[in-house]
Amino acid sequence: MKRVVNSLMVCIVLALSSVDSLYAAAAQSPEQLFAELAKLQPDQRLKRLEEGSRKEGKLNFIHTFRGKLAREHVRLFEKRYPFIKVAMADMGSQDAAERLIAEETAGRHLTDTISLAVPDLPVILKQELLADYPTPATSRIGKQFQGFLDKQNRWVPYYWSEHGISYNTNLIPPDKAPKSWQDLCNPAYKGQVSFDPPETRFMVGLYVLMGEEKFQEWLKCMGQNQPIIQRGHTQRMNLMLSGDHAVQGDNFLYVGAEEKKKDPKTPYAIVYSAPILAYAGVMIINKNTQSPHAAALFSDWTLSEESQRYIATEFRGPLIGKHPYLPDNIKVVTFGYVSDDIVDRLHGYWNQHIGKKK
Amino acid sequence: MVRRLSLDGGKLALALIVGILVYQVVIPLLMVVWTSLKVVRPGEPGFFELSFSLANYARAFGSGDFWHATWNTLYFALASTAVSFGFGTFLAWVVHRTNTPLARLIGVITLGRIIIPGILITVSWILLASPSIGVLNHVLEGITGSKGILNIYSFWGMVWVHSLEITPLAYLLLSAALQSMDPRLEEASGAAGAGHWSTLRRISLPLMLPAVGAAVMLLLIYTIETFEVPLLLGGRAQVRVYTTEIYFNTSRTPTDWGLSGAYSIAILFLCAVFLAIYFRLVRHGERYQTVTGKDFRPRRIDLGRWRYVTSALSLLLVFLITGLPFLVMLYASLLRRYQPPSLAVLQTLSLDNYQEILRDPIYSYYPMWNSTLVGLASATAVMLLVSIMTYFVHKTRLSGRKLIDFLGFAPVAMPSVVLGTAFLWLYLLVPLPVLGTLTIICLAYITRYMAVALRFVSTSMLQIHSELEEAAAVAGGGWWSNFRRIYLPLLRPGLMAGWFWVMVHAYRELTIALMLARSSNRTAAVVIYDLWENGSFPQLSAFGVLIFGLLIVLVFLGQSVGKRFGVQEQV
Repeated sequence: MKRVVNSLMVCIVLALSSVDSLYAAAAQSPEQLFAELAKLQPDQRLKRLEEGSRKEGKLNFIHTFRGKLAREHVRLFEKRYPFIKVAMADMGSQDAAERLIAEETAGRHLTDTISLAVPDLPVILKQELLADYPTPATSRIGKQFQGFLDKQNRWVPYYWSEHGISYNTNLIPPDKAPKSWQDLCNPAYKGQVSFDPPETRFMVGLYVLMGEEKFQEWLKCMGQNQPIIQRGHTQRMNLMLSGDHAVQGDNFLYVGAEEKKKDPKTPYAIVYSAPILAYAGVMIINKNTQSPHAAALFSDWTLSEESQRYIATEFRGPLIGKHPYLPDNIKVVTFGYVSDDIVDRLHGYWNQHIGKKK
Repeated sequence: MVRRLSLDGGKLALALIVGILVYQVVIPLLMVVWTSLKVVRPGEPGFFELSFSLANYARAFGSGDFWHATWNTLYFALASTAVSFGFGTFLAWVVHRTNTPLARLIGVITLGRIIIPGILITVSWILLASPSIGVLNHVLEGITGSKGILNIYSFWGMVWVHSLEITPLAYLLLSAALQSMDPRLEEASGAAGAGHWSTLRRISLPLMLPAVGAAVMLLLIYTIETFEVPLLLGGRAQVRVYTTEIYFNTSRTPTDWGLSGAYSIAILFLCAVFLAIYFRLVRHGERYQTVTGKDFRPRRIDLGRWRYVTSALSLLLVFLITGLPFLVMLYASLLRRYQPPSLAVLQTLSLDNYQEILRDPIYSYYPMWNSTLVGLASATAVMLLVSIMTYFVHKTRLSGRKLIDFLGFAPVAMPSVVLGTAFLWLYLLVPLPVLGTLTIICLAYITRYMAVALRFVSTSMLQIHSELEEAAAVAGGGWWSNFRRIYLPLLRPGLMAGWFWVMVHAYRELTIALMLARSSNRTAAVVIYDLWENGSFPQLSAFGVLIFGLLIVLVFLGQSVGKRFGVQEQV
């Protein structure tokens, strides 16, 4: 009798599992859902997303804004949609990509959506982990940033990061400041221009701006000008502003702009005449997301007025509306990602001309 | 004399230890080895196939730049080890074996250095000795008229900062041994006419050979795998060492896990060599047994008037190790933007940075609380684990006992990023509900800090004579009872030193915490990283001061509990 009962229990468990599987098989995939949503009118689409999000109730999200910046951004979303609980982790773009790959390879669909930088996308693209997500929200993006969009709708750009030249005004008067990327090779700035150790994003940006041959020449002349190579964007900016050296050959301009906002006497100036190198920060949706409606709603929300206003307030680059500190007429060179071969060559040039060793 | 393992709880403990080592060390190690032999990344087709390649090793070791960096590394390691060993030995001797005034204060300040995150210390020294803005250079310029006398961005600048970083490790290891020293041998030396220096050199130090060997080995390995100082200072000094070479080659997108694995195996090989030398040094373990069944109380050497000299020198040393960087950190924490000191700047000091950090409890309190839990749990678990491990290694005749020591020590070869990734993958595949909790971070830390903890306790275990346990066994005590009532109290110096080291490092460890962090298990180190990447040095300093205060309290509590057990000092 006991044996019969045990066998029955096993059958019931197996049957329930099968029902679950059947149910799962019958449910739409996120991409099917997104394709369906794309056919709807905006108000119907929003209604469907909100209803679906309400049922899902949660979203697992990795933000590449850090700390308080990330948390406040998510709080705004939760305030707007209180029925969605966002479990957020924040980490670097590269680490976020590695995390998603690890989880999906192990068959654990733990993350619904990630924010990361476009130059860090290739490794995820190779694994084909991104859902195609066509959304009308991207039609609001400024004309000059349309280059950030993906033809296959694999990501939703929502802010941009800039690399540019800045300097300490106590050490260099404006009339003696560099005016272009090529000016950094001027012997007047020997030993006074700092960079982080070779950063793929920065090098790809210069490669897009100058072309491979001119980029290599630039690296050669920079190498001869004894650049300061020091890890840490914020630390490097802090050191420059305290008088340690004169010029940031490359940095996120918002770092210094924030310091100047806190203290107007900060001796910081941006070289507006040198083109700004810009790449997009994007939202991607895991094609195995367990909360497709919430993921889609959040992605769309990042291009909303309140999200873009927050991004501008925090001195990051919004894609809609005015930039918080860069003038409208500044030249911006947008770029995405390049092939691994090109990246390898760029690193090789850097090591050859700048990565000298003792 | 070591004893045969009896048929009691000892065998159960051994089985548990082996099981833990297999799970916590062997599996992550296998993952590292596997990755090093694959040319595809985890997740790509072919990663789990049984096809292997040495291409990563060829890439790692086939480059001339790499060997150049390796030579720099050995030079850097030897120089830093020599300096820190000298400082650490001097301080340990002064604090624990002499009647130097303010000895206890000197000891506390030395250990205080460990509490301050390495990033802050390195940046503090940049602000002190940078050729253009260094405070010390401004003072020296005023005196001598010469600019930029000190240059922290140099090979010797790197050696200086890193030596100060690891002096507390040498101090802790040698302190544990000195506290268990039987004074009769030194008294006999004195009675025979030898002076204090001669006794130290010919009696005390040779008796401490296990501790000396462990200290030198750990200092070398720590230096070889350190990367904060080389990363922040070596770039400008144009000195590339092993770890910066690894960092630059593996920090690109996508991460080159195969290359990283190959480098890890190289460090593991080096660790195996060092460990073999260490075992050879201590193979006659009975020679170093100073804690016996006879009455034993350590005593302090009367230095006479020389005690004021040792006090002054020690205070100067700890001021450089801890005091000066802490003062820079404190000064910076009161600024909105870092500027060298001046009357005008002093008028702008404020507590704004502290207010900003403490305003948001999710940002500050919860991570600090998480780190406190993780630090206490990891330290306690790992010290208990290694105390049992060292018993089997040094007090039994088990065949394969050295393998236990090697496995316990092997994690030192795994860079934190590799270990963190291994644990992430392990718990993605093993469906235990620890992802996103503090438990997974604790488990990773147990592996991470097992190696150092092992050396702390090993040196103390070697000093304990086996006759104590034999006497207890004759009296009818079981394995666990004897271990708990005899060995654990006598191991107190090593246990407390190791516990302190692990607790503080677990509190401030960043890489593993970052890799395993989700919304609910952020630690204080992750907040430090946020401030480092997106904040400013003044804000980072403010957080560092807060952590320093909290950890001082934890350490004081830990020491108060630990003082109730173990050997009391001879008056």
